Amino acid sequence: MSDFAVEMSNVGKRFMRNSDRRNSIKERIVRGRAKRAEDFWAVRNVNLDIPKGSVYGLIGHNGSGKSTLLKMIGGIYRPTEGTITSQGRIASLIELGAGFHPEMTGRENIGLNGSILGLPRKEIADVTDEIIDFSGLRDFIDDPVKHYSSGMYVRLGFAVAVHMKPDVLLVDEVLAVGDEEFQRKCFDHLYSLRRAGKTIIVVSHGLGQLEALCDEVAWLERGTLQEVGEPTDVVASYLKRVNAEEAARNPMATATRDAVDHEGGLQSALRVKSVQITGVDGTPLNHAETGTTFTIKVGISTTESVLGPNVRIALQHETGPLVTMIGNHRLGYDFGYIDGDRSVEVDLIDNPLLPGRYRVHVDVFDHTGAKLLDSWNDAAEFPVRSASGEIGQGFVQLRAEYRLR
Amino acid sequence: MLTALKRQHALIWAFANRDFATRYRSSVLGWAWSLVQPLATLLIFAAVFSIVFRVQAPAMGNGETSYAAFLFTGMVTWNLFSSLLTLSMTQLKSNGELLKKVQFPAYAPVLGASIVQLIQVALELVVLVAMFLVLGNVGFTWLIAIPILVGTALFAQGVGLILSIMNARFGDVMYIVGVVLGALYFLTPVLYPMSLVETHSEALAWIVKCNPMSWYVQAMHDAMYALTAPSAIEVAALLVGGFLVFWAGFSIFNRFSEDIGELL
Repeated sequence: MSDFAVEMSNVGKRFMRNSDRRNSIKERIVRGRAKRAEDFWAVRNVNLDIPKGSVYGLIGHNGSGKSTLLKMIGGIYRPTEGTITSQGRIASLIELGAGFHPEMTGRENIGLNGSILGLPRKEIADVTDEIIDFSGLRDFIDDPVKHYSSGMYVRLGFAVAVHMKPDVLLVDEVLAVGDEEFQRKCFDHLYSLRRAGKTIIVVSHGLGQLEALCDEVAWLERGTLQEVGEPTDVVASYLKRVNAEEAARNPMATATRDAVDHEGGLQSALRVKSVQITGVDGTPLNHAETGTTFTIKVGISTTESVLGPNVRIALQHETGPLVTMIGNHRLGYDFGYIDGDRSVEVDLIDNPLLPGRYRVHVDVFDHTGAKLLDSWNDAAEFPVRSASGEIGQGFVQLRAEYRLR
Repeated sequence: MLTALKRQHALIWAFANRDFATRYRSSVLGWAWSLVQPLATLLIFAAVFSIVFRVQAPAMGNGETSYAAFLFTGMVTWNLFSSLLTLSMTQLKSNGELLKKVQFPAYAPVLGASIVQLIQVALELVVLVAMFLVLGNVGFTWLIAIPILVGTALFAQGVGLILSIMNARFGDVMYIVGVVLGALYFLTPVLYPMSLVETHSEALAWIVKCNPMSWYVQAMHDAMYALTAPSAIEVAALLVGGFLVFWAGFSIFNRFSEDIGELL
C-alpha cells in the first residue's frame, strides 16, 4: 500500500473544441472527421501525489484546469495521457444534489443519491437519520425537493455527500453553501473527516479559506502545475502573479486637466492640474499596497504668487464613506509663497488603507483657510491591494499594540 | 456481463424505483393512464381496419375470429419492443446532468427505466389475457408466450442500448429512429395477418418476413391467439437471438460509454 491517496503521473486531458464537434451525422458525412489541429489541452504534464489524510488545495484562474483535474480524479473524465491511481472510495462534492429528482421527497432522494454514489442499501439506511440531522431539514424531509429553496437543496446535497464514508472527498467551490451556521457545520465536518484520516481535495477561489484549511496547495495555470507546496507560499506567489497581471492591464492612476476656467465662478489664479499616485521614489503606480508607503502627487499651477495655501486631500471609499481628510495646515506644514508650476507630494506613511478602491478629491484654500482657491472632485481613483491576500474588515488598518497585564 | 449486472443491481433498482415513484406522481389517475393510450389505439385501429378496410383475422384456437383480439396480441408485442427502444434511447440524455457529475455505470438508468416500462407492458398483458378469457380462447400454449416475450424484451433492450449511446453522440438519431419505427410498424403483421400480404404481393411478403419483429409477433399470434405451439427450435431461436442482441448491445454500450461525461 502506498502512502498516497491519489497518484498522478504525467496526466493530460485533451478536449475537442466545441465548434469542431460533429454533433450530427450530416455534419460528420459532409465535413468528415474532426481536425486534430483544433484540439486543446485542458490539463497537461501534471505530476502530483496527494498524501493520505491530507487536505489538498488546488488554485488557479478560471479555466486553468482545476475542475478538469478534479473530474479526472473522480473518474468522470478519463485522462487522455498519463495515469491516475487512487485508493478507496471517492465521493465528490462537485455538484451538490446533482442526482436529486424534483418530484421525489428528500428522504427518497437520499436513498437514490446514496445508491448513485455507490453505497450499499443497508449502509444508506444506517446513515439516513444522520444525514437528515446534519442537513437540519427534518421538518421537510418528506416533501418533494422541488419545493425546497436552493439553500435547502445544497444543504441536503452536502449532507449526503459527506456521509457516504468517502476515503477521498473532492470538493469543488461548494464551501460557500448555506448560511453562516451551516457553513461552520460543513467546516467542522471536513475537519473531523481529516482527523479520521480521510483525504480531502479542495478547489476554491477563497484563498484565505484554503490557507487555513490545507496542508498543501498546488497552483495550476493553463493546465500545467506552476508551484506546489506550503499554502502560504503558493498563495503568495499566485497573488503576486495576479497583481502583476492586473498591473499590466490597468493604466496608471494619474489624472490631469487643462481647462483654465474654474467651475462655480471661483476667482483665483491657482489651478490644480494633476493628481498622481506614485511610489516614494517617484515612479508612477496604478495601485497602492496596504502597509507600504506611497505618495499622492498634486500638481498645481498659479499665475500669481500665493501665500501658504492649504492643500486638502479627501479619500473616499468606493462604497461612499469618506475615509479621511488631510491638509498641510493641520499637519503643520507651511509652504510660504509659491508661484509657477509646483507639485505637492503627500506621503501616506505605511499606507493604512485596506484593500478596495479609493477616490481622491483635492481642495486648495488660501493661507487663512477661509477662501477656496480651487477644487477638483473625483480627481483620481486608485485601488489598494494586499500583498498577503488578507482583505481585512473596514477601511483602515490602524497601528496598534496589544498588551496583556 | 451477468456479473456486472449482478454487482450493479442495487443501482439499477434505485433508478427503477425513482422512475416508478415519479412516473405518474402528479397525475390523479396514475397508472390507469398507461392503459388508456394503448386501449384507445386498439379501439380506433380495430374500428378502422375491420369496418372500413374489412381486414379478416384468421381463426382463433376456439374456431371463432376476433380482429380486436388479433390486433391487440400484436400490439402488446410491438409496444414492448418499441417502448423499450424509444425509452432507452432518451435515457442518457435525460440523465445527462447526473452523468456529467458523478461516476457510475451509465447503463443503470437505462435498464432502470426499462424495468418500469415492463410493468406497463405487464398491465397490457393482463388486459389481453382478460380479453381472451371473455372470448373463451384459452390454452396451454399461452405458457410459450413467456419465453417469446422475454426474447422480445432482450432484443429491444439490446437495440435500445446501442441507440441510446448513438443518440448521445448524434442528436438526430432520435428522429431517424422515429421514422424507421413508424415504417417498421406497418412492415410487421400487427394490423393484418401474414396471409393477407402473401395473397397480394410476393415481394412485400418477403420484406415483412425479413423483419425480426415479424418473427416475435407471429410467434405470439400462434401461442396466444391461434393456440398452436410454435416449434421448440423456433422459440429457442427467438429467446437465444434476443439474448445475443442484448449481449451485443450491452458490450457496445460499455465500450462507447466510457467518455459519456464528455459526450453529453
